[in-house]
Amino acid sequence: MTALLSFGLYMIGVFVLAIVANRAGRKKAFVSEYFLGSKSIGLWAFAFTYAATSASGGSFMGFPSLIYTHGWVLAWWIAGYMVVPIIALGLLAKRINQVGRIAGAITIPELFRRRFESRRVGNLATLLVVFFMFFFLMAQFKAGAQIMATLFEGAPVFESAVVGIEKITAELPWIGAAEGDYLLCLLVFAVSVIAYTTFGGFRAVVWTDVMQGVVMGLGVIIMLVLTLAQVGGLGNATRKLGEMTPPQEVRVHVILDEPATELFRVPKGEWIRLGEDGLVRLRSSFTMVPYQRETEWIDAFRITTQAEIEQILQSGEVREGMKATLFGDPKPYAYGDGLKGVYLTAPGPSATSATGFLGVMLALSFFSFWTFSGAGQPSYMVRQMAFRDTLTLRRSIVMVAVYFSLIYFPLVIIFTCARVLLPGMEVHPDRVMPEMAALLTSNAGVPWLAGLLIAAPFAAVMSSVDSFLLLVSSGVVRDVYQESINPKASEKQVKRLSYLVTTVVGILGVLAVMHPPQFLQHLIVFAAAGLGACFLMPMIFALYWPRSTSRGIMAGMLAGGITVLVLYLVGFLFTKQFGEYLLLGVHPFLWAVLFSSLAILIGSLTDEPIPEPLKERYFGASSPTAQR
Amino acid sequence: MKEREPLADSFRQSRKEFLCMIGIWAFFAVWTMTCNSILAPLREGEEVPLLFGMPEWVVWGVALPWVLALSVTIWFALRFMKDTELEEEKS
Repeated sequence: MTALLSFGLYMIGVFVLAIVANRAGRKKAFVSEYFLGSKSIGLWAFAFTYAATSASGGSFMGFPSLIYTHGWVLAWWIAGYMVVPIIALGLLAKRINQVGRIAGAITIPELFRRRFESRRVGNLATLLVVFFMFFFLMAQFKAGAQIMATLFEGAPVFESAVVGIEKITAELPWIGAAEGDYLLCLLVFAVSVIAYTTFGGFRAVVWTDVMQGVVMGLGVIIMLVLTLAQVGGLGNATRKLGEMTPPQEVRVHVILDEPATELFRVPKGEWIRLGEDGLVRLRSSFTMVPYQRETEWIDAFRITTQAEIEQILQSGEVREGMKATLFGDPKPYAYGDGLKGVYLTAPGPSATSATGFLGVMLALSFFSFWTFSGAGQPSYMVRQMAFRDTLTLRRSIVMVAVYFSLIYFPLVIIFTCARVLLPGMEVHPDRVMPEMAALLTSNAGVPWLAGLLIAAPFAAVMSSVDSFLLLVSSGVVRDVYQESINPKASEKQVKRLSYLVTTVVGILGVLAVMHPPQFLQHLIVFAAAGLGACFLMPMIFALYWPRSTSRGIMAGMLAGGITVLVLYLVGFLFTKQFGEYLLLGVHPFLWAVLFSSLAILIGSLTDEPIPEPLKERYFGASSPTAQR
Repeated sequence: MKEREPLADSFRQSRKEFLCMIGIWAFFAVWTMTCNSILAPLREGEEVPLLFGMPEWVVWGVALPWVLALSVTIWFALRFMKDTELEEEKS
């Protein structure tokens, strides 16, 4: 209850900031203010809005679940973040801001359109932003709903509300099939974010990002201290982790000691004894009816490390009055089954790949992916158009570098230790962060602190959702409506449409995420790869190569986007799961960068050069900008 | 009021910084990949050496370059990058 209270206070803070931001921007030109904060964002705001938007639900939900599942190899997987601030902020920011100001652009598609004086290149950019950004929105909505579900779990009011919403939605197509607790949390989360984003616009998003960035940083540091104290030091945790072996996927029958006397439900995640000395954790729920004694087969994970089994048995979490028996053969991990030390080394355990989780080529791919796809995200690019001056940019790079160092490496430490403190989370991999927060604060006797710790990933998710919402709505309002449908729209019309589109995009995102894929990180990597593939090389060439033309840039966007889509489609055809196909062991993003670059070069060199005055405007000596 | 120089100069400076950043990225990519390819793989039957409570390869292949990359980033942003005057917004 105290956790709910502190979490509630945090939410009130977010809404107060949105109201203040709305008032602060009332006297300024609506479109520039609503979508870009009048290009007057200072040091703290710029650094934190960038960092908070970058550290999304992926960083605080998907990434911890991967660390938990694969171990220390995730330190290598995330190593690219050591150079993300310098590349993602430094590579393009100065030129984007400069060119954006010369062009008078407010959105990324608009920047392309004016840089090349081509409506087609702008329309294509809008289409690609809206398409890929939608997957990001889906992932963040899922993350937000899951965090809320963990926080509210067990609260009587919440449980009653879940029963109520399940009754109301049971008959509805698509929505009715979603789990009640997830659906309720999804709605509450979505309404909150859509409301403050719609109301406050870019300035509210940036200000709440600052607050959320501070909450995230504090949350990680507090979690790190609590974790190390509770595992008895990092060395102790790592040695225990070195003894662990991956669980096995099994199917079991559950047999009650006595036939059921009444109807009851055993939820997903319950621990049940397997034979005399084994233990499984259920991957789905089941219901027993009166006189029934044995279930059909149920999916479960079988724990294979003796020390873990003893720890769980001693904790008293095992369900009494029933036992499980194996149905069929266990399915071991494709790599790492029975191998001690697999959680401390590369390539790390993998349930599906016989070569392990992270080979050298894939590690190199991710090192490149984090840095360069970060530079190629329109949501970051648009922030780079908003800083006040280049001194703000330079200092922000330093702040973000320090901030990322304080977040990403500690997360690896915290969630490798989580395996020791919180066994069996393979059943809910994406919920390991909030579960860990609840466990740490409960053990430390400070349950109220769980609200703040859970607010950290929640803040990360909110700060990303609000930015993505605004990016998609700016694409529709500025790039489609104002540019192509009604160029003479009044400020009042644009204002109403902006509010409407932000709300509608949010609602569509909620509908799309009723049944999301299991791993958040897959969605996030797909969307990041797609956007990076479409925009990184076209933006680099547009800013640094005077010979580039609209035909070349369009070819680059299409080649990048299509490469990612095709390699994900091939991945789906091979594995029947949402995931990428690693051609020659290399991530689709790198292939996309290669093909996109080639397409731009070929497309531009076979096209007429852009007119001299246009080139002069963005590269020549006649522009009124200068060096200091 | 400082004297204004042509945009071409600011463009050239941005391009110089761009190339320098690519060089920094390549240096740390080579370090991390080389070091971890050699030290990180599982050797069955051997105990994984620890340093500061972490697997030793993490210290040499991730933590140390991370600290150095942070230092280089601070130097680059505060010393190497130059300020550029930006136009007032046109809307």
